Amino acid sequence: MTEYDWPVAEFDPIRRLRVIAASTPGTSIRETVMAAPLAAVWAVASDLEGELPRWLFPDIATMRVTPAGDSDRLVARAVGHSGLRARFDVVLRPGWCLMQSRFLLGGMAATDEGGATRFAFLGGFRGPLRLLSPASRPISARVGERALRRLAERVDERAL
Amino acid sequence: MAQPGPRHYEPHQVAALVSSAQAGDTMAVGDLLDLLTPYVRRLCGPIALDEGADAAQETLIVVFRSLGQLRSPEALFGWVRAIAVREAVRTARRRGAHAELSELPAPGDPQLAVDVADVLHRLSPEHRAVLVLRELEGIDEQRAAQLLAIPVGTAKSRLSRARQSFRKEWQS
Repeated sequence: MTEYDWPVAEFDPIRRLRVIAASTPGTSIRETVMAAPLAAVWAVASDLEGELPRWLFPDIATMRVTPAGDSDRLVARAVGHSGLRARFDVVLRPGWCLMQSRFLLGGMAATDEGGATRFAFLGGFRGPLRLLSPASRPISARVGERALRRLAERVDERAL
Repeated sequence: MAQPGPRHYEPHQVAALVSSAQAGDTMAVGDLLDLLTPYVRRLCGPIALDEGADAAQETLIVVFRSLGQLRSPEALFGWVRAIAVREAVRTARRRGAHAELSELPAPGDPQLAVDVADVLHRLSPEHRAVLVLRELEGIDEQRAAQLLAIPVGTAKSRLSRARQSFRKEWQS
């Protein structure tokens, strides 16, 4: 019977990010569907140096990315206008990005949805800052909404 | 979009990943997801069928929420298998009706030759689970029945008939 091709369950990057969000205390996830095709959305989302500071958080001044061994592993160094610095371990693949610093966690996932794009965005605190999560939830929600709106705007601007 | 092929991990590397993930390292969680997702997809697909993606998602959520309870990393895959089968059956039962196994077409029925996946749809989720555990994982009916909390005798006799039907068509 094993020679039969058994059905294999589908599993896309959005579901993968939902798993991380559901099993990682201190994180929240937001999903949206953008009209632009997947390639156009991911071209902006995956540009960590050029685009991410423009749409993610207003405080990010620069983001510098260097390879870290394996092909999908990177190190990103963020510098804020306020002077804050953070070093992130990054996994970046088509449709998938996970970023982790000592105190912060970020993730992005994207899949095609009938020619449009389902995009998910995860953010959260790590370590002792995790205790801030409940109090910061309303702020995080507003920041997340703004970030997704800015990302959609950047996708539209690049398409012009 | 192309994804990189699965990495190969030695047992001590798997143990290190489990330990790091239990300590809150989300990059290790990501690596464990790479390792476990293909296995979970293979288990959930034939049991949950159309609900396979939801079953795989629910399985992996339970796995990573409960990872702190896993004391022996060498037991990882057996532990994940038990969760996957349970979640796949639960998801399939919650979402869809199914015919009883006794309604399977008889051997030789032309319907069997049309679509074996359709025959899987005619099994109850528990029996699909027994079939998967037996055929893909090499687990006998007694252990499978225990895992699924169904009577061994009933599972054995019905499964035997189902396998005969499947084998006749799949090997023809």
